[in-house]
Amino acid sequence: MKIITLIRWTVRELAAKATLYVLAGISTLMLLFAALAMGTDSTSDGTTITFFGKPASPPVTHEALADLAGKIEAGFAGGLFLGIVVFGVFGTAGVITDALEKGTVDLYLSKPIARWELLLGKYLGSVAAIFLNILYFIGGLWLIVGAKVGVWNIPFLLSSFLLTYVFAALYAIVTFFGVVSRNMAIAIIGGILYFMLIAGPLEGRQTGLYLLSESGVYRGILDGLYYIFPQIPAMESGAIHLISGEQAQVTPFVQSFLSGGGILGVAAWLLQRRDF
Amino acid sequence: MFAIESDALSKVYKSGVFRRQEVPALTGFSIQVETGQIFSLLGPNGAGKTTFIKMLLSLAAPTSGSASVLGRRLPDVRVREKVGYLPENHRYPGYLTGEQVLRYFGALGGAPSGALPARISSLMELVGISQWRKMKVKKYSKGMMQRLGLAQALINDPEIIFLDEPTDGVDPVGRKEIREILRDLKRRGKTIFLNSHLLSEVELVSDRVAVLDKGHLLKVGTVDELTATGQAYVIGITGTLPEPVTVAARAFVIALSQQGENVTAECRTTAELNRVIDLLRRNNVEITSVTRARSTLEDSFISLITGEAHP
Repeated sequence: MKIITLIRWTVRELAAKATLYVLAGISTLMLLFAALAMGTDSTSDGTTITFFGKPASPPVTHEALADLAGKIEAGFAGGLFLGIVVFGVFGTAGVITDALEKGTVDLYLSKPIARWELLLGKYLGSVAAIFLNILYFIGGLWLIVGAKVGVWNIPFLLSSFLLTYVFAALYAIVTFFGVVSRNMAIAIIGGILYFMLIAGPLEGRQTGLYLLSESGVYRGILDGLYYIFPQIPAMESGAIHLISGEQAQVTPFVQSFLSGGGILGVAAWLLQRRDF
Repeated sequence: MFAIESDALSKVYKSGVFRRQEVPALTGFSIQVETGQIFSLLGPNGAGKTTFIKMLLSLAAPTSGSASVLGRRLPDVRVREKVGYLPENHRYPGYLTGEQVLRYFGALGGAPSGALPARISSLMELVGISQWRKMKVKKYSKGMMQRLGLAQALINDPEIIFLDEPTDGVDPVGRKEIREILRDLKRRGKTIFLNSHLLSEVELVSDRVAVLDKGHLLKVGTVDELTATGQAYVIGITGTLPEPVTVAARAFVIALSQQGENVTAECRTTAELNRVIDLLRRNNVEITSVTRARSTLEDSFISLITGEAHP
């Protein structure tokens, strides 16, 4: 019950700090762009999707049109994911560090809530706020594509949950850095650097980092790290595959759940040991 | 059962790059606070006052020793269901209004949501900020924040209220109002644990006082016990003490002086005091009162901290 209170008020916090509205504003601009730009062009050879009147492909059958719509939606989802990484992390990193500030943390912890509950409530509140934004964008785009093209791609709508899940895995890292440093800038840098300098290179290690050495130990360490940390690029590409109507591996999602949970657990343990 | 009890409680903070430097904040601190009392902890900055409260609230872990609150041995999260806390330099989320702060922290404290609106209204009225209930707290003055903090500490109708510098930044009228609130809480059986630098405030409301310095307990007792000045007595007389009587008295007491119609005699024993009284009566000096001399709490505090005798 207290975790629900923390989640609810964290969403309000992000709304009050204008984070939610800024993200919703960016989403609205992108949706307006899609609504104005997107259309269809039907000829005797079939139908195609147009952007500003220019066809995205030669005319295709209705079934192929659904595939084309799925690929366009997947492209938008990929762009949205990058937006979430940048704006989502920037907008929500302060939730954890603000709660741990001197003078504020005393107020929280003088209430009958455990430290892990405080951390989990704040973490889930941020994830819930990002979910609302993702749902707004994906839901809006789903309606626009459905209304303009006549393709109602349910996997695209459901990808709201997957993209939120990917953000949640990354946000576990941001939360960890937030707890360790109690500094918003370090939490943001930690999350972004992890995404750019660790997650990406580890995902492509077989064609990149492996080339630096042929040592089995070195490659074993890289493989170990890959399976210890959340596999964000793999999850992102899995979500995009599902939107496009293709198969996706479940393993990265399961592994990232365990890894993200573990990182949150370590953050909660460190928080529990700290004197305020 | 004591409301608060600590037994040889100690806290050593570690600092430095490798946390090798040890900073003792509290050493072997043992006190007992009875239920329904206003108990004050006095001490200079860095004496360990806030550390003690933080350990009682499980915000900091003791290095050694033990403590219990309301009969529950710490750490125990359930204790905090019955405790209210106003920290020093508290910071509420600036985007909330005063009313929302109370609703938020009331809900976190486990207050029933149905009862919260009425409770919030009465508390805002009590601390005198009801007219600013809809104003964002980032616009609150320091005094208003302290009043809001007090309301927040009371939102869950706690049995023990910890107040760390509650009148900091509050004007004299506000301080008097806060004193009245504390007395009213005491009448209702609440235990109040007060940390304050304002010794005159403490003197006015406290039942018992402990003086702490550099983590060590120097003295604990009632305000009267702390301000009593040994065997010095103030003898109220009419008129001026004749010089020969003064000289005769000074021959057997430690010191004797007159200020207005008050003669202060510092005696070794009560027999000496009676001898002074007999001397005055024999010389037809009219005695109007005899009381034990007292210093202010501030005098006592400073003499305890500096190790000097009372003036």
